[in-house]
Amino acid sequence: MQMSRIGSPSVGMDEDSGAGHALSDFLLQLENYNPSIPDSVVAYYLNMSGFESQDPRLIRLIALASQKFLSDIVNDALQHCKMRTSSQMTQSSKNQKGPKEKKYVMTMDDLAPALQEYGITAKKPHYFV
Amino acid sequence: ILEKTESGSDARRRILNIAVSTILLEAGFDAADKMSLETLTEMLQCFLSEVGNSAKGYCELSGRVEPVLGDVMMALLNMGINLHGLEQYAARPNRHVIQPPQQ
Repeated sequence: MQMSRIGSPSVGMDEDSGAGHALSDFLLQLENYNPSIPDSVVAYYLNMSGFESQDPRLIRLIALASQKFLSDIVNDALQHCKMRTSSQMTQSSKNQKGPKEKKYVMTMDDLAPALQEYGITAKKPHYFV
Repeated sequence: ILEKTESGSDARRRILNIAVSTILLEAGFDAADKMSLETLTEMLQCFLSEVGNSAKGYCELSGRVEPVLGDVMMALLNMGINLHGLEQYAARPNRHVIQPPQQ
């Protein structure tokens, strides 16, 4: 009983002891660091799901992790967007030559395949309010 | 009171919206349609709730009241979040800090 209770977290920690060590060093740096999302907003959503911490560094860590998560997805979506627009550009380059300024617009066509790589299925709803 | 909480959640939601927009701008997008912006906002909100829920679970599983770094890390890893390069991401040059709302 006691063994299994102690055993299970340590199994998880063993796999990432390197990352864990680096992250605890990193946590100390978060003392005077401001992520983009304000602490109070992140703390609100965490409190909504029952997480309550007096340590603002943990909240900042979560805010950063969420930003990076979205940033990775958005970067993937940007690659999709660039590929799509460049294939369209080569098709239309016969008619109009010269460098046209590119404007990257995120649409669901780019976002959905990017999300699919992360195992998230996004479907276009029939209507959107 | 109902109106007050309504506007409160709107304000938080708006900040999440701004946060998503900043991430999009940093990535190099110039514009986004409403649905993808809203999808990402919803994902951000779900992410925060899920981390909170999961970290609380790990915390209570080990008989603690206050979550520690290990609980948050277990929650993030269990969600399959890639934490590599987080430090570099934190130090990225063109970052933008959103003003917290007035209480």
